[in-house]
Parts: sequence; C-alpha cells; structure tokens
Amino acid sequence: MAAAAAAAAFFPTPSSSSSASAKGSTPLGGGGPDKLDTRGIKSKSMSSSGAMQVKANAQAAPKINGTRAGLKTDVSKTEDDVLSSTPRTFYNQLPDWSVLLAAITTIFLAAEKQWTLLDWKPKRPDMLVDAFDFGRIVQDSLVFRQNFSIRSYEIGADRTASIETLMNHLQETALNHVKTAGLLGDGFGSTPEMSRRNLIWVVTKMQVLVERYPSWGDVVEVDTWVSASGKNGMRRDWHVHDSQTGQTITRATSVWVMMNKHTRRLSKIPEEARAEIEPHFIERSAILDEDSRKLPKLEDETADFVREGLKPRWGDLDVNQHVNNVKYIGWVLESVPMPILEDHELCELTLEYRRECGRDSVLQSLTGVNARCAAAAPPETGVECHHLLRLADGAEIVRGRTAWRPKPPRSPGEIAA
Amino acid sequence: MLSPATPTRSAAVGSLPPLASRRWRSPAPPFLPRAMCPPQPPPAWSTAASKPTKSTTAERLRLGRLAADGLSYSENFIVRCYEVGTNKTATIDAIANLLQEVACNHAQSVGLTRDGFSTTTTMRKLGLIWVTSRMHIEVNRYPAWGDVLEIETWGQQEDRIGTRRDWIVKDCSSGAIIGRATSKWVMMNQETRKLQRVSDEVREEFLTFCPRALRLAFPEEDSASLKKIPKLEDPGQYSRHGLVPRRTDLDMNQHVNHVTYIGWVLESLPQRIIDTHELQAITLDYRRECQHSDVVDSLTSLESEGMEIKGINGSSNGNPSQEDYCQFLHFLKLSGSGLEISRSRTRWRLVK
Repeated sequence: MAAAAAAAAFFPTPSSSSSASAKGSTPLGGGGPDKLDTRGIKSKSMSSSGAMQVKANAQAAPKINGTRAGLKTDVSKTEDDVLSSTPRTFYNQLPDWSVLLAAITTIFLAAEKQWTLLDWKPKRPDMLVDAFDFGRIVQDSLVFRQNFSIRSYEIGADRTASIETLMNHLQETALNHVKTAGLLGDGFGSTPEMSRRNLIWVVTKMQVLVERYPSWGDVVEVDTWVSASGKNGMRRDWHVHDSQTGQTITRATSVWVMMNKHTRRLSKIPEEARAEIEPHFIERSAILDEDSRKLPKLEDETADFVREGLKPRWGDLDVNQHVNNVKYIGWVLESVPMPILEDHELCELTLEYRRECGRDSVLQSLTGVNARCAAAAPPETGVECHHLLRLADGAEIVRGRTAWRPKPPRSPGEIAA
Repeated sequence: MLSPATPTRSAAVGSLPPLASRRWRSPAPPFLPRAMCPPQPPPAWSTAASKPTKSTTAERLRLGRLAADGLSYSENFIVRCYEVGTNKTATIDAIANLLQEVACNHAQSVGLTRDGFSTTTTMRKLGLIWVTSRMHIEVNRYPAWGDVLEIETWGQQEDRIGTRRDWIVKDCSSGAIIGRATSKWVMMNQETRKLQRVSDEVREEFLTFCPRALRLAFPEEDSASLKKIPKLEDPGQYSRHGLVPRRTDLDMNQHVNHVTYIGWVLESLPQRIIDTHELQAITLDYRRECQHSDVVDSLTSLESEGMEIKGINGSSNGNPSQEDYCQFLHFLKLSGSGLEISRSRTRWRLVK
C-alpha cells in the first residue's frame, strides 16, 4: 500500500516517468553517482520520516511481496518501450531504470527488515491496549495473555524478581482470565453458578519451573489456560516469557477443586458449573515432564532446619479471610538455610496444599535438605529440599519440594547505571 | 535519559553499497508518545555514566511520563488482585508500594540511577544517598481491584537540610483525588550511615528538575503532615513483640523495605479497630534502619478519639459531614536494645 505510494513518488504518472527514462538525462533517469545519491537519500527519507508508511508496510508485510511482484510488473509495463530496448541488468550496474528499481527494492527490504526486527512485533497495534495491563484473550484461542512490568518493590534481596512476584502475576492472570471470559461471579474466581451454590475454588497442587528470573524494568508476558483435571478438578497452566526476547521465564501448572465456603467441605463440580467452564478448556500442558514424585512428609527427626512462630500478618489475608496461597511460599523459604538462599536460585517448586490457615494460626516451617543430587543440572551443585508447613499441633498445612541451582553470574552493568 | 532511537543514516554520499552491508536501523516507533522523553535537554550532570545503557521494553512501554514542563511525573497503575485486602480494597501497603515505584520511575526518567538510590553523579562521588525521614499518606477513598490510578509526583526543596517529595493519587476514570502523600528526605553518608549536611551545589543538582514555585500536596496550614509525633513510652496500651523481618521484606539493598514498617505499626492495633475502621492517614518518622537479623517490638496507644465535622474539602459530595474517628500513636523499637526504629501516628475513621 504505502510501498505503492512510495513508488508513486518516483513515478508521479506513468507517462512522465517513461518519458523521463527515455530521455536518459533527467534527474529521475540520470545515471551519474550524484543523481543516484539524490535518489538514494530520497528513498531513505521516504522510509524513515515516512515511518508511518513503513509501519503500514509492517502490518501489511505479507502483501508487500505480492505488491513487489505486482509493482515490478507495473514498472515494466510503464516502461515497456524502454525495456524492450535496454537489456535488464543487475541493479548495481546501474542503468537508469534499475537504479529506480533498486531504490524501491531497498524500501521494501527495509520495511521487511523493520517488520522482522525484534522490537517491532506485528501485534504492535494492540500494545497500547495491553500497555494498560488488563490482558486479553489471544485471538482464535482460549488462551489469556497479560503483560506485567516488573516494579522496583517486586525485586528481592538478590536483585531479581522474587518467586512471590512471579506467583502473584500467575494469580492475577488467573482472575483476569475468568473475568475476561465473562465467568466472574461474585467473590474471587467463582463463576455465577458456583456463587449461587456458595462454592469457591481452592488450589490443591502447584508446580512452578523457573528458567530465568526477570529484573527491574523487564516486561513479562503471561499466557494462561484451563483444562480438566480428573472428574472433579480443574487444571490451570501458565507460560511466562520475556515480552521482548521471547525467552521462557516460567512454566507452571496447578490443580483446583471446588469447596463450599461455609462448610469448608470439598465438592463435586455441579453440572451447571461444568457447563460454564468446559467450553474454555484446552488440552495443552505447560510442563511436559511434570514431576509427579510423591512428596514425603517431613518429621522432626528427618528435618534439618526448623523455623517456628510464623504468624500471618495483617496484610497476608485475602478477601476470603484466609492466608493468600502465595504467602505460604515465603514461609516455606523461611527455614531454608542461608548458604542455599545466597548462592542458589529456586528453579523448581512443587507444593501440595493440605489445609488452610487463618489469621490466628501459628506455623512452623521445616526443611530437609537432600544430599546434593542431580535433581537440578549441573550435578554436585544442584540442591533439592523437602518442606513442611504445619501448625503447632502437627496439623499439616503445606507439603513441598524445591530444587535449586547455582545463581547465574549477573552482568555488572545490569543493575546500576 | 530516554532518547528516541535515532536512525543511523548509512552513507548518504557515494555509491549505493550492496544491500547486505547497509544498516537500516529502525527509527523510534512513531506512536511512542514524545512526552515520554524529557522536553528539555538533559542537565549537564546527567552524563553517560548515569544513563541506562539500553532502553528497556518497560521504558518504551512505560505508562509514566514527565509533565510538559518536565517538573513532575505521572504514571498509571491498575490495582491488582493480590494488592487488595480483606475489605476488597487496596491495602495501605499496596498504595505505599505504588508511591515508591512512581518515585523511582521519576528519578530514573530524569537520569538518576536505577539502583534504588536515585543519586546524582556528585552524590555518588561523595558517597551520599537519600533516606526518608518522614512519610505521610492520606487516603480519602481506597480503590478496588481493577481500578486505574493516576499518580503524580514531584520533588521540592524543603529546607537547608532536606528535600520533599509529594504525590497526588487520582482515580483515572473519575479524576477524583483519592489520596495525597508527602515525604521528607535527607542525605546520608553510605559508609558512616550518618546524616550529612550538604553543600548548596549538590542540592542544586537534584533540584534542577523540581518546581521552584512552592507546590504542596497538603497546602492547608494545619495539615497533619506537619504535626510532631511524641515518643510513646513502654509498655503502651497495646503491643506486639518479636516481629521479625522476612526475607521478602528486604529491598535490593538488603535493608528492610519502608513499607514493611507500616505493616509492623498496624500489627499492634487491636483487631476490632481494623475490622470496623478505615485508615484515613498515617504519618511515620523513620529513625533507624532495620536488617534481616533484627527483632522488633510494636507499641500502640490511643491518642484521641471522637467526632469531627469535616469541612467541604474533606468530603466527597461537597457537604460538611460528621465522622467518628480515632487516632493512635505508635512506636517501633528493637527488641533487645530498645533503640527507636520509627514513631508514627495513625488516624482511622469509622466505616461499619
């Protein structure tokens, strides 16, 4: 489109151009280097100041190839009389008309290159919409996508986004997915049919694989979708990648069941609720090699480290008056010894939620460190730990397993300017 | 300093080189709002040393922008689900975090460092950093999940020793002011951890991009942000002992994040106050920093309570109204030594 416009600038009307070429000594048709430069500069300014035009090209990229061929034919059509007499030469040998052709070609190639440049993704037009971070359903699929910019206070003591930040983003996208899909009843995450029956979703299992921790200022893109898990469960998967490089940051999966919010008893999925959510299911896994090893229960004798007296804080409770399930991760990590925390980063986290806890609970966090094993590559430096969060009376809240790998070296210029 | 990516012009003179060797660099996307780039040329002190080495995606996407006169900075935020508390509205922690974030982004957009210190070149040479000495936040209406907030912030000269940073928080859709905040900052030597008076020249560097005309978030003379906070003596009416910083409370400089202090202050409040009241204002004086290994005690005492006739300015519908309120004094200290970490005052209004 714009390419055609660009070409039209060189060929204001077909007739004049052909006449110019026939003459061979006009600015349009000239063969000297300076004339060439004029044209060269012109073409550059066309594509750079005419960034709008180029942008249009970027969007219409697939058509550029079509029009290019079309345009070449047009060129040859308008200059039929010239062409028949002048043999077609390679562009850098520069007879009159092929210099023009070269200029047009460079515009097309520049446009194509811009289109393929990493920071010029074709989905630019809706970036202004999701720059507001509301997220959207990806077209023609049931996947929900949302971007988050890593904020300064989400950075932890080791200068990267904390695991809690990553988990918070997962939670936010899950809720926004439900909301955008039109399934939000009253209360967080419950569909209308669920709310009618006083049912809420509770998470029973969570597995997160972190490949790379983002830093302050990075923008992450989170994709999430749901599918069935057994007869009475729902599985929600996430895939997080760096919005700029496309590199995977995190892959996660979780299992949810329904619970009556008054009786606190688990419930089967009622048919009406199933009819609401089933149309949104996709069979797709974020984690292909899911670690389904049974999680052992730690005892006082098998635990290596214990931290006691952990209490929910004022800000830890969610709308349902229960401890937000992301907070458990902080407690689990409270009993991990400093040498592991300082030199390693968490690469895998598996949690089984057994029981909820409220504002008056007092918890203990236990950690058992496996002898250095090959759970995380490379061997001898990877560490695996087992965890238990329980109440003082022994009631189990969360059982977990973590795998750690040595921290990658941070490039010096990354943090401070 | 953000500068638009300039297209490199390949040799404009001479013959066209073969296509493969030509460098066609993409110009800045045309729809990038020019307002994101500071309208004035960068101040002399913001040299390459303090410029971020690359323009990150977040910077290009950043919803924040300097005002037309370059003297204040605004950014939009959506309230996320995990920032919302038991009463379905954003917690004071979440709001304080956003204030801190927009302050950092402001500092970064005018060329100060990204390491959390917001220092100028001269300050870094002298080993100085900014520390907060007082923070005052007032919230008229707490936003809910999904609300979009517009937060504007600017710096200002306070007195010979410190500077001030003010914020105004508006609800994006209605334009109503839902909160205001102000803070006072002083310079501290990074090594000795002692407060330091600075030469006018150093302070001038920082104040280059601050409005010279006085602009206050709390212009009223009897503002609570100016009131002195008395020290609360042991034992206090209510208390909570043995508060321990979690690893998640540490900021990127290994100190306990200021926002954590707010949580600790509220820990010793009786639950019935939190259940029936809404935090209207909080003032904190920071005296000492806190590390991961410290243990903290939180004390609270009622300072005053009663009914107040709120003037037109304070109410949303423009009519004077009556409001039940109670006001508390708080004290945070190190468990063992009793050294003061911070003292504060909170004001709560009855909602249920």
